[in-house]
Amino acid sequence: MTAREGIGGVLATYGTAIAALILFCFFAAMAPNFLNPTNLLNVLKQVSFLAILGIGFGLAFTVAELDLSFAAVCSFAAVVTGGLVHHKFPPVAAMAGGIGVGLCAGVLNGVLVTRLKIPSLIATLATASIATGLGFAVTGGVAFVGRWNPAFLALGRGQLLGVPVLILWTASAALLALFLLKQTRLGLHLVFTGEADEAARLAGVKTRRMKALGLALAGLGAGLVGVLLTATLNSAAPNMAADYLLTSIAAVLLGMTMFEPGRCNVPGTLVGAATIGMLGNGLVLMGAPYYVQDIMLGVIIVASVALSASALKKAAFGI
Amino acid sequence: MSTPLLRLAGIRKRYGAVEALSGVDLDVHAGEVVAVVGDNGAGKSTLIRVASGAHAPSEGHIEVEGRRVGFASPLDALNAGVATIYQDLALAARQPIWQNVFIGAERTRRLLPGIAVLDKRRMRREARDFLARLKIDMADTNRPVESLSGGQRQAVAIARALRWNARLVIMDEPTAALGVAESRQVLDLIRELHRGGTTVILISHNMADVVAVATRVAVLKNGRKIADRPVEGLSADDLAHLVMIGQLPQKAA
Repeated sequence: MTAREGIGGVLATYGTAIAALILFCFFAAMAPNFLNPTNLLNVLKQVSFLAILGIGFGLAFTVAELDLSFAAVCSFAAVVTGGLVHHKFPPVAAMAGGIGVGLCAGVLNGVLVTRLKIPSLIATLATASIATGLGFAVTGGVAFVGRWNPAFLALGRGQLLGVPVLILWTASAALLALFLLKQTRLGLHLVFTGEADEAARLAGVKTRRMKALGLALAGLGAGLVGVLLTATLNSAAPNMAADYLLTSIAAVLLGMTMFEPGRCNVPGTLVGAATIGMLGNGLVLMGAPYYVQDIMLGVIIVASVALSASALKKAAFGI
Repeated sequence: MSTPLLRLAGIRKRYGAVEALSGVDLDVHAGEVVAVVGDNGAGKSTLIRVASGAHAPSEGHIEVEGRRVGFASPLDALNAGVATIYQDLALAARQPIWQNVFIGAERTRRLLPGIAVLDKRRMRREARDFLARLKIDMADTNRPVESLSGGQRQAVAIARALRWNARLVIMDEPTAALGVAESRQVLDLIRELHRGGTTVILISHNMADVVAVATRVAVLKNGRKIADRPVEGLSADDLAHLVMIGQLPQKAA
């Protein structure tokens, strides 16, 4: 989409981002303790997890594949990480284990989709089920908790130069994804594969490899969040990331309504994640019953996709 | 006569029990604009699929400048200098012009040792230059292809072929979906290609288009070539007669 002129253009491109800002001001004024630094830090943690998972999902989405396994893979990566830390493996090994699990799951998705020709919607559901099952197998259904190596916990709880590391992890993931998509050949090939894979293939782009890569990167993001989640919470349980499935996808879809309307984009995913995280927190602080969040989430998903469709003048999903 | 740029020799193509091409020879010499015409089902599309590397022939072979080649894919054909512009143009509509021109052969510059980034400025400029060679003035190559007219899109597809240094451009029904003004623009594009020394194979239903831009015409009927002659001296009506009846009207013969 080219940026449209005038106020209408600004609203079409930034309308939902502005709405998110208004929502922030609303909670700041109305929700008790919303602006309290401890609370904002809590929100930022949630937002970090949502954002990194969303960026990963978005990379798969860029190559026109759906990854519905990232939350289950994230949980499995978390219990593998937790198990390693729990059994006194060094932090580096625990981190490598968690990220490795995520990457392997992503590669598996890539193989299922590009080699065995299973639609990603189905393939990743199967992967999700397998990952969930393995997570319960590893833990025996209980959670790992304990007095863990502080060096490991610092991966999620620490600060660097006064900045919480979770923010740095998120910023790094976002900058890497942006650099990949906007500045490199590989990124352009990913985008073309998603936009017009026949055209890309005829021009010599290795589209199958690009699709596999997009799915692998989604798995990598899930693995990283598994590690960070475990370190932040000082525990690991199967299914601990299950709620992030819908919230993260909602963040991506909401992000598709801004900056580059109708298209999955990294800045949009960040703002989307911030909005969803803030909404959950603000509603709780204002004393709304827990189910209001679920209802709002559903409304946001439907409204976002409808907005994207109106920006594109056609359905936002060709999958 | 000199070695043809492209020679299709004894091409047969069977799809199961159906024989779409029954031994077609076609020589295309450098600098020609050869139109391939024929009724629906005559074998035009099949011939083009074989020449573009999309389908392998059941029998017969292809030569480029006298060397036998086997095209396993359109990419092989591209690397041999044969670019095909498909009916649906194979463009990514939402992506900018420059990306569509350069996809698959991007220009990069080194950012840090080992890290190359897209040289967008150079690609924008070169995309503009390719389009200028086609007499299309496009100041902003950042525009998405979907914002262009049908004729301009055709120009973007041709610019991509030029970027591949294609010596032979195959155009499959380039005016089929276009209005009068846009069709005229596409014919101008073909004339510009011809003037620039690029060889063109034009598949068309439109006899007026063929007479307007082609130097030679090959007529297919039921999978065989029934005529192959210079266009000069032929009218669109003569050509239509040739396609339908299989021979020229008495006055012209």
